[in-house]
Amino acid sequence: MIKTENLTKKFGEKIAVNKLNIEVPRGTFFCFLGPNGAGKTTTIKMLTGLMRPTEGRSFIAGIDIQQDPVKAKKYIGFVPDHPFLYDKLTGREFLKFIAGLYQISEKEFKERTEELVGLFGLSSVVDQLIEDYSHGMRQKLSFTACFLHKPEIVIVDEPWVGLDPKNIRFVKDYLKQKTRKEGLTVFMSTHTLSIAEEIADVIGIIHQGKLCAFGSVDDIKSLSNTPGNLEDVFLELTKETDEV
Amino acid sequence: MNQISAILEAKRNILKHQILSIRKESKLKVAVITFSAIAIWLGIFLGLYEGFNWLLTFGSRAGIEVNFGELLMARMFMILMSAVFLFLIFSNILIAFFTLYKAEEIFFLVQTPIPFQRLFLVRFVECIAFSSWSVAFLGVPLILAYGLSLKAPIFFYIASIIFFIPFIIIPASWGNIITQFLVLIFPKIKLRTMILFGILAVIFLFWYLTTMLKGTRINEDTILPVFLSATSRVQSPIFPPYWFSEGVLKSKDSQFSEVLFWFMLLMSNALFFTFLGSVISKWIFYPGFSGLQGSGQRRIKLPNKGILGRLDTLLSFIPYPYKPLVIKDVRMFWRDATQWSQFIIFFGIMAIYIANLRNTTKYFEQEMWRSFVACMNIASLSLILATLTSRFIFPLISLEGHRFWIIGLAPITLRQILWQKFWLSVMTSAPFTVTLAILSGYMLQLAPLYYSMTIFSIILMNFGLSGLAVGLGALYPSFEEDNPARIVSGLGGTLNLLLSIFYITVVVTAQTIILQWRVLEQFTRPGYFWFALAFVIILILTLTGIAVAVPMFLGLKNLQSLEY
Repeated sequence: MIKTENLTKKFGEKIAVNKLNIEVPRGTFFCFLGPNGAGKTTTIKMLTGLMRPTEGRSFIAGIDIQQDPVKAKKYIGFVPDHPFLYDKLTGREFLKFIAGLYQISEKEFKERTEELVGLFGLSSVVDQLIEDYSHGMRQKLSFTACFLHKPEIVIVDEPWVGLDPKNIRFVKDYLKQKTRKEGLTVFMSTHTLSIAEEIADVIGIIHQGKLCAFGSVDDIKSLSNTPGNLEDVFLELTKETDEV
Repeated sequence: MNQISAILEAKRNILKHQILSIRKESKLKVAVITFSAIAIWLGIFLGLYEGFNWLLTFGSRAGIEVNFGELLMARMFMILMSAVFLFLIFSNILIAFFTLYKAEEIFFLVQTPIPFQRLFLVRFVECIAFSSWSVAFLGVPLILAYGLSLKAPIFFYIASIIFFIPFIIIPASWGNIITQFLVLIFPKIKLRTMILFGILAVIFLFWYLTTMLKGTRINEDTILPVFLSATSRVQSPIFPPYWFSEGVLKSKDSQFSEVLFWFMLLMSNALFFTFLGSVISKWIFYPGFSGLQGSGQRRIKLPNKGILGRLDTLLSFIPYPYKPLVIKDVRMFWRDATQWSQFIIFFGIMAIYIANLRNTTKYFEQEMWRSFVACMNIASLSLILATLTSRFIFPLISLEGHRFWIIGLAPITLRQILWQKFWLSVMTSAPFTVTLAILSGYMLQLAPLYYSMTIFSIILMNFGLSGLAVGLGALYPSFEEDNPARIVSGLGGTLNLLLSIFYITVVVTAQTIILQWRVLEQFTRPGYFWFALAFVIILILTLTGIAVAVPMFLGLKNLQSLEY
């Protein structure tokens, strides 16, 4: 469902992403790990069509997002780490706006909204202005908006910011269940290694723009000289970094 | 629902909620702003109406069929429309840059499946709304005054409204197209370099205009032909302001077929350029947008050299705890090129103008005119200062926003933070304004009394305007907002600007009246002048004291009552 071919992004002399080759099949929960500044967000921007690669290509459901961005974007649901929401809209008005962008019919919008708003526990606040929402509520509204058009691929950038343990558990289970039962493909960038270890089918570790590890959790763990958890392996693979 | 209607409906809802949220604002603040807006509107209308009537009386001479006043009005209308058109192109270039490339919303919209042409069209509508509301606000009294003084039929007013639509669309489309090309070509050039070029271009243009317009003195007999000849250059039938002016002016005489022709010409061009902008956006919007995003990442290191790197040593005379706060504010101001560029543009133009006074001083042989021009220079300087304190000083407290915990946890009181902002404002603006006021007095060869009076009032206005901006900024902070321009455009910012203008008006009027009366020998006894002068000085001192103390006290009280 997601495929990159020699995906490269250069900013002047700096190579942010260097010949990235990834293939994430349908129904896979993929966790993208890497230290700060490793190139995760740049990769996500190229996958979501927010940025043009310097070289290489990226495919969403077999469609080159640079060649046919509108068609490819219909397959994607995106939840950024700090989602943009219109503060002066109510939650319902915002969802209606999303339904318009994805050209969802009025009937389907109503059905989906009732279902998702209930599921994400937003029923009591959906008609309030977003400016009155807590950070956690904003994040949940962002997830609701993401699933409104039934995406086949969900790209999530560090989604746990602002969520309480109960909601983290809920989001984790919801995404996992969607991948298992409905064949959803999840591409998640995260720093929370314990969660990645718990839910990922496949893990990719990027360091200084290069993919330095790719495989199942067990495959990644086996890369370490000494047996340990994912955190130990991650630190070992990325130990050259200057940044914290 | 299609994508364009979805976005427009969301915008309509946002506007509705924003209007409704005015109910939450202070009633006094809303009342002051509403009253001031109406007063400004009426002032413009009455000024124009009286001016037009004076021109009509001035231009009607017995035995001559053509009213020169009417001719002058028509010519002035065209000049004004040309100026408005140029202003709209320039403002649309800037607004399009923010609405199409820099707004937080655009990052959200680009990752949704909306084609770039549609995205362009919805942002284009927004761009038109942003750039044209002020033209509409100021244009209505102009049209009304023009129509009423010439007793125009109702068709004139209807035509003016209809013509306004294509007239604002054309510069908006030009501005949007220019911006898209500029972004495509220039993302590799640093913003600071581009702004420096812009500043140089503006200063050069101003210098060119002042040099070109430096004409010979003209007397009453030659003024009309000279004026008509000079202004004929602004009329070019290939440009839209001409079509607009011709159409609207012809509607005054109910020449329907002419009006229809000019309207069709204007409308077809508006539609064509909108279409062109949309087609172009399909090809060049995304490469520009993508290129612009990477531009920030190229700047890996900021050199810690020059004045900024040595601030710690240079400002070592500032006592604790003010020094670190001042250094932080100066660094942040300098690193935001959009902030200091406006500072340079305003004061640069004023400096060129004052330096140019040397060429015009010979025309001000009478003391009355020199004193009057000096007072007007002080008014201009203080108005520029008010714009800058509203733009840069007012948002300072709000910009601490989410970072308030940093200084909140430090062993510094809120009182100290507030006074630090106040002194920073005074110490940075006073050198510019006082130097320019000294230069203005020198160029005009003012008598010592007038000279010292103008310097006195500009020094005090630095304090008064800084007090208003810092105090009201603390009284009406918007901590959730990171964009200074949006903080300023809120109700608090508008109130600050209006109160600043009111304060300047009182100070400058009092000073001008007292000095002009003396020059014109209106005081029956010399002793009365000194008595009146003492009164004006006390008035300015008291007013400045109030402008500093009251907002600072209320602002501090408000900050102390807030929870962070």
